[in-house]
Amino acid sequence: MRVFAASLAEMWSPARKRNRLSPDEATAELLLARRHLGRHEPASERTLELVLAAAAGPATERELAGETAAVTAFLAALPEPEPARWPGPRRLPVLAVALVLVALVALCGTAEAGALPAPLQRLAHQAINAPAPSPAMRVPRPSADVTPGPGATGSQSAPGSSGPSQESRTGKPSANPKPTHTSDSHGNGQPTASDSAQPTATDNGKGNGGTPGQGGNPSGHPTGNNGNGNSQN
Amino acid sequence: MLVGDFPEVLRRAAAGDASAFARLWRDTHPPLLRYLWVSTGDAAEDVAAEVWLEVARRIGSFRGGEHEFRGWLFTMARRKMIDRHRYEARRPVSPTGDGELLDHPAADDTVTAALEYISTETALALIATLPRDQAEIIVLRVVVGLDAGAVAQIVGKSPGAVRVAAHRGLRTLRERVAGATVTSPGRGGVTL
Repeated sequence: MRVFAASLAEMWSPARKRNRLSPDEATAELLLARRHLGRHEPASERTLELVLAAAAGPATERELAGETAAVTAFLAALPEPEPARWPGPRRLPVLAVALVLVALVALCGTAEAGALPAPLQRLAHQAINAPAPSPAMRVPRPSADVTPGPGATGSQSAPGSSGPSQESRTGKPSANPKPTHTSDSHGNGQPTASDSAQPTATDNGKGNGGTPGQGGNPSGHPTGNNGNGNSQN
Repeated sequence: MLVGDFPEVLRRAAAGDASAFARLWRDTHPPLLRYLWVSTGDAAEDVAAEVWLEVARRIGSFRGGEHEFRGWLFTMARRKMIDRHRYEARRPVSPTGDGELLDHPAADDTVTAALEYISTETALALIATLPRDQAEIIVLRVVVGLDAGAVAQIVGKSPGAVRVAAHRGLRTLRERVAGATVTSPGRGGVTL
């Protein structure tokens, strides 16, 4: 637009318009541009120049009388600044993306540390090769056999129970992960598998089932029958 | 015109500086009032107040130099003036006999006054006797100081149409003051 205005101004410059416009038009352009006419111009043109000069004269007191009211209205009409408490609608998407990124970074860090719940940790293991969940973190399946039977005390499980020990339920690794076996029905004490694997001298008085080389389990892990049945038969 | 000071004055006014706004107002309000007076008569003060309220609300979003600012402001003024004309057309005001509500003075009376002593008000009254589009264009060019291109943008015409309207208006004015003796403050009288 400025280029257009500049070209227009050049087109109407006094030097060119004197050549193109009629004398009346050229004089009119000088008057409109508030340029002084020469003495050679007709008196009617000079009178018109005075009229236009008066119309564009300096401001009068009456015209400037309303300054105080105008400034007061200006101060009252100023738009109030936006409250800084809540970000504007433009910043909301940026804030949401930043929050999602922070949450993802925190999730990945927790997964790398192996501190996620087992299902999530398993998912992270598959997705980003995070450490697999440890067996101790597995959630135990509820089973009716877990309920201790009559006579069972402490860490002992009911006969035939294949459930985890009390320690394993609490998440602590058991010192003896193997299942215990009892022989209450035979009244021969309660040798456990660990006891049979490491027989001591006190076992001899109650049977030989635990003694290696007497038909017992050569591997040192006697079954329930071998521990007691052979000694009585 | 503020010329070199305009960018700083505008920046301060946009930030809410009352003194900067007052400087803008003192520089621009007189030509605005004259333009509106020629176009709308006695409603000029009311329309000018509406224009400045609009300026106060939107000055923070304005970008440009002093000429662009004047074009922006007078475009707003013209729109509000048109709204005022439409409003008055729907609800015409019946004359009450009060001299202040009369229309612009007749051309003959104005010329008679101009013969004796030419003042700003008299000169504007003489211009106001022209057809409204011609009077509007002459004021925008002579009083406000805009070029033909800027005036064309404000009034929604081509620069050529603006030039033709201005020349016709000046020709009519010349005919009305022909043969008269005009005395201007600070200048000697011109005897025709």
